Amino acid sequence: MIAAQALAKRFGAVHAVRDVSFEAPDGRITALLGPNGAGKTTTLRMIATLVAPSGGHARVDGRDAVREPLAVRARIGMLSDARGLYARLTARENIAYYGALRGMEPGAVEASIARLADLLEMRPLLDRRTDGFSQGERMKVAIARALVHDPPNVILDEPSNGLDVMTTRNLREVIRNLRAQGKCVLFSSHVMQEVSALCDEIVIVAHGAVAAHGTAQALLAQSGCANLEDAFVHLAGEALAP
Amino acid sequence: MRRLPAFLTVYAKELRDALRDRRTAMMVLVASILTGPVTLVLVAHFISGLEAKAASLEVRIRGAEHAPALVNFLERNDVRIDKAPADYEKRIREGRLDAVIVVPDDFQERWLSGDGARLEIVYDDSRADAGPATRQAERLLEAFNRETGMLRMMARGVSPDLSDPVKVERVSTATPRQKGAFLLFLIPMFALLSPLLGGMTIAIDSTAGERERGSLEPLLANPVPVREIVLGKWLAAWSFASGVAFLTLAGFAAAAALYAQRKLAALMTFGVPELAGFFAMVLPFAAMTAALQMLICTYGRSYREAQTYVSYLATAVSFVPIVVLFSGLKDAHWQLVVPVLGQQAVLSRIVRGDAFGFVDWLVPAAVAAAIAALALALVIRLLGEERIVFGRS
Repeated sequence: MIAAQALAKRFGAVHAVRDVSFEAPDGRITALLGPNGAGKTTTLRMIATLVAPSGGHARVDGRDAVREPLAVRARIGMLSDARGLYARLTARENIAYYGALRGMEPGAVEASIARLADLLEMRPLLDRRTDGFSQGERMKVAIARALVHDPPNVILDEPSNGLDVMTTRNLREVIRNLRAQGKCVLFSSHVMQEVSALCDEIVIVAHGAVAAHGTAQALLAQSGCANLEDAFVHLAGEALAP
Repeated sequence: MRRLPAFLTVYAKELRDALRDRRTAMMVLVASILTGPVTLVLVAHFISGLEAKAASLEVRIRGAEHAPALVNFLERNDVRIDKAPADYEKRIREGRLDAVIVVPDDFQERWLSGDGARLEIVYDDSRADAGPATRQAERLLEAFNRETGMLRMMARGVSPDLSDPVKVERVSTATPRQKGAFLLFLIPMFALLSPLLGGMTIAIDSTAGERERGSLEPLLANPVPVREIVLGKWLAAWSFASGVAFLTLAGFAAAAALYAQRKLAALMTFGVPELAGFFAMVLPFAAMTAALQMLICTYGRSYREAQTYVSYLATAVSFVPIVVLFSGLKDAHWQLVVPVLGQQAVLSRIVRGDAFGFVDWLVPAAVAAAIAALALALVIRLLGEERIVFGRS
């Protein structure tokens, strides 16, 4: 479970995140939905302990991101905005490196890679060097790398960015599969269809603050709009005029 | 198989990654192995050229027919006399001639009447290899001058000692080996530059490169303290730096062994004991340069920027031996405390065959270790800073 409580982050004079609170429970898919620059990535980075908040708290399974960063990192699998691979290593070596860094035994790493390769349909890729990989192939390796230690919490930052339709559908399957395993899935997106097709809970973020929070139906009811896109524009727009 | 500590996992990954970069690895390997032999061949060629020039007494004279007395003197002293071609000045400027004695038309008359007879030595001051020939011509003319003066004084009943109250004799204290070491300041210089070459690729790739390809953020999201990640990367850079330095020095030792029987025999010794001494000095030095390279590269916004900064470091290091050579800085104890200068001082001592003790190793090594530790602490701190990890605006 991931919980943010009044999270805030200032870079100099810029308030990237002003006030973000939400809970992402286990066995649910929670989306941070918001336009570019709303503060989604910074929020996810604070939860993943990569950025220190200027205010508020982030907790993962009850552990504070600032006070217990290593414990929090161990309970998270994060597909970050930066998803670079080591081009001279094979896909398998890329994934195994992260497994070893997370303290897994070599046997457990191999088993996990085999399981993820089936889940992500990437077996033929495993023993190739990643320098010739397509965007979608890279993404698969990056996801496998993030999930190799079978974390109870999964954070995905704009996972479908730059992916084609087929890969996106495959990715959705993977995310639903994670939910089925009872994991807490938190992902950010600015794509409406993706969010409505996938999410149990939606947190609309605009200008560094939560504009609305709830299921798709609840948000429609709250805004009085007929579809989610209108609801989003309506709710995100309200946050504009404080 | 047991699970490795995190820093060894990072270390193994960085080594494997770097060795997969075959082109760079091969280039560094070939360059480091060839440096020694190529340098020694060039130095040996240079030295034997100097010896050949100095060994045969020969002068080039323009207008020898105007100075029969000088020709007579030179012939009596077994000096070969060559006629200088008419375009000698041009040839000297182009480096095809070393020095020419020019005799004016009226030399014989003036010389006979004792009326300020004049000779010229034409040479190019800017060419070091023309030096021996120039000095030889000078010395021969001085000897001719002295003989003439002596004979004339004796003819007048004056003791020649009057004009030569002090007799100067040259006694050089340099052993033949030290003469070679003058030229072989090159080995210490390569010993100090090779770890910079060896550590460079990993230092850049594991810091600025890691950020540029977008793998730094996910790497730092692992439940591993930053210090373990930095330690592993640094160990990899240090290993490469030391490895390349060892290959370079071994190349020198191998070339010296092959050459020992011939030209350089009397000039230098660079065998196994010297190699061991050098490596003992270079190992802590490489620890320092690898850490400094990483620190510099962590600041680099991109791979290219990091490359530029690292080349500045190499330039700074290579300046030290050159400054020492040209400033004539004398060996002193305080130098041991100064990075690069200390290593340079001790390495020159080893090449010269002078004594060198444990303290000579310990002091520069301790300074290098302290700087390495400081640089690594700074890298660890920088990688905890958001502006370094996520880029700066």
